[in-house]
Amino acid sequence: MTAPAVAPRRELPPKPRNILRVALIVTVLVTLTVAACTPAIGGVEIDLASISKHWANGAKKLGQMMQPNFAFLPRTVAPMLETLQMAVVGAAIAAAISVPLTLWAAKPTNANSVTRGVVRTAVNVVRAVPDLVYASVLVAMVGVGVLPGLITLVLFDLGIIVKLVSEAIDSADHGYMEAGRAAGGSQFQINRVTALPQTLPLFANQWLYTLELNVRISAILGFVGAGGIGRILDERRNFYAYGDVSVIILEILVVVVLIEVLSNALRKRLA
Amino acid sequence: MNAMTFTSPVPRRPSRLWPTIFTVLAALVILIAVGGLQISWADVPKIPENVAKYLGLMFAPPSWEKLPRALLEMWRSVSMAWLGAILCVVVSIPLGILAARGVGPAWLRVALRGIFAVIRAVPEVIIALILLTVTGLTPFTGMLALGIAGIGTQGKWVYEAIESAEAGAAEAVRAAGGTTAEVTRWALWPAVAPVLMSFALYRFEINIRTSAILGMVGAGGIGSMLTNYTQFREWDTVGMLLIVVVVVTMLIDMISGAVRRRIMEGARPRDLARSA
Repeated sequence: MTAPAVAPRRELPPKPRNILRVALIVTVLVTLTVAACTPAIGGVEIDLASISKHWANGAKKLGQMMQPNFAFLPRTVAPMLETLQMAVVGAAIAAAISVPLTLWAAKPTNANSVTRGVVRTAVNVVRAVPDLVYASVLVAMVGVGVLPGLITLVLFDLGIIVKLVSEAIDSADHGYMEAGRAAGGSQFQINRVTALPQTLPLFANQWLYTLELNVRISAILGFVGAGGIGRILDERRNFYAYGDVSVIILEILVVVVLIEVLSNALRKRLA
Repeated sequence: MNAMTFTSPVPRRPSRLWPTIFTVLAALVILIAVGGLQISWADVPKIPENVAKYLGLMFAPPSWEKLPRALLEMWRSVSMAWLGAILCVVVSIPLGILAARGVGPAWLRVALRGIFAVIRAVPEVIIALILLTVTGLTPFTGMLALGIAGIGTQGKWVYEAIESAEAGAAEAVRAAGGTTAEVTRWALWPAVAPVLMSFALYRFEINIRTSAILGMVGAGGIGSMLTNYTQFREWDTVGMLLIVVVVVTMLIDMISGAVRRRIMEGARPRDLARSA
């Protein structure tokens, strides 16, 4: 009676195990984490005591934010409009520049490995700089106002669009393009007639996505003087007017959700 | 004459009406937006000149004098990002699983998704500013802000990953009499664990960038140093700091990207052959 119960168990393949590798991975993760919380070597000091000591401050601030001062709303309309305009214009400029750059950065649409490498490296460098860093350096370069914010948005959007779409082109199936090549088309003709129409939905998707991102980012661009709703957010915060701050945050929330709904509807039409 | 008979079977061109309307509308919106922006157009031609001038000040040549301090501050930013990612992932995985359709009860799902959406809308900087009042201007604040601010997006990714997992395994466990907890442990978790690990690493990559931003509002790390030297207008040091940020960020992206590919695509044939 016991034999049949045991027999099938023996036929199971051995469980894949690699104790050495698991141990190595765990060691690396634990070392990194421990090093990251060691203040002596520059890590973060985990200061739980301060939470138990000062949590009331944060709770008070949150309490103040829970009472939004809606009387402030009319004054936020103009900066919000500026933010939306910056988001739209930034996304539009980025969209226009992104098409040639993306086609340069993808292998099937650019056979020249030198120009491809140059564009890819440039995009990766652009992507590695955080948005607010661009904004603060650009504010110093071209002065306070909308312009540095706009340039920041364009640079940030380009990094996203070119990377995502060129990777999508790289991994897509290229039947049409091969047909174009077989028919004797030049690289430019192939790109124009096959690659572009094929990837346009991908582009449109990312363009809409960057529009959403731009609204979110503009909320903080104003902190360094790059225009938009962030400027007034920073101002109210400096006055400790947390009721006004929460009105602005609510407004950003509503606008972001509206833009998400709108772009989702557009995406459905595109698909 | 023959041409007529050959062209007729060709399907009619699809209507161009809607695409045209969309394009015109989009163009109108963009034009109105451009018109409304208060840009001093006279300054625009001077931008390339200005940018070139400052780039010259920054990178010709950058000042390497403060490199050791910059590396230390960068490590502090990376620590913030790493611990913030751990905090975010540890909180968002269970919450995200509970928010997935078919796991948690409907009221909890709605509540959690609402919380995720609200967190997504609040900029990290604002979260950091609230936390400042509790934990002060410290990297610890930055870490907490990263951890909390990331939950919104991370939680959304988790429940989307679980909902898009194949239903077969979950149905099999349920058919064998498994409870929802058992379904989650034995069907959903094995299916989504690699994706979630990949997302966790991606969160770390995002946090590296955000930690520099939080530094600019005083949370410490490379962002604080960058803001200071921008304000002192010591451009050659700013140039060096930018190089440090770009190089370290790209290095971490590369390593983390390679690990993510390895997680998602599994072992390469060479590795499989060895283990067999």
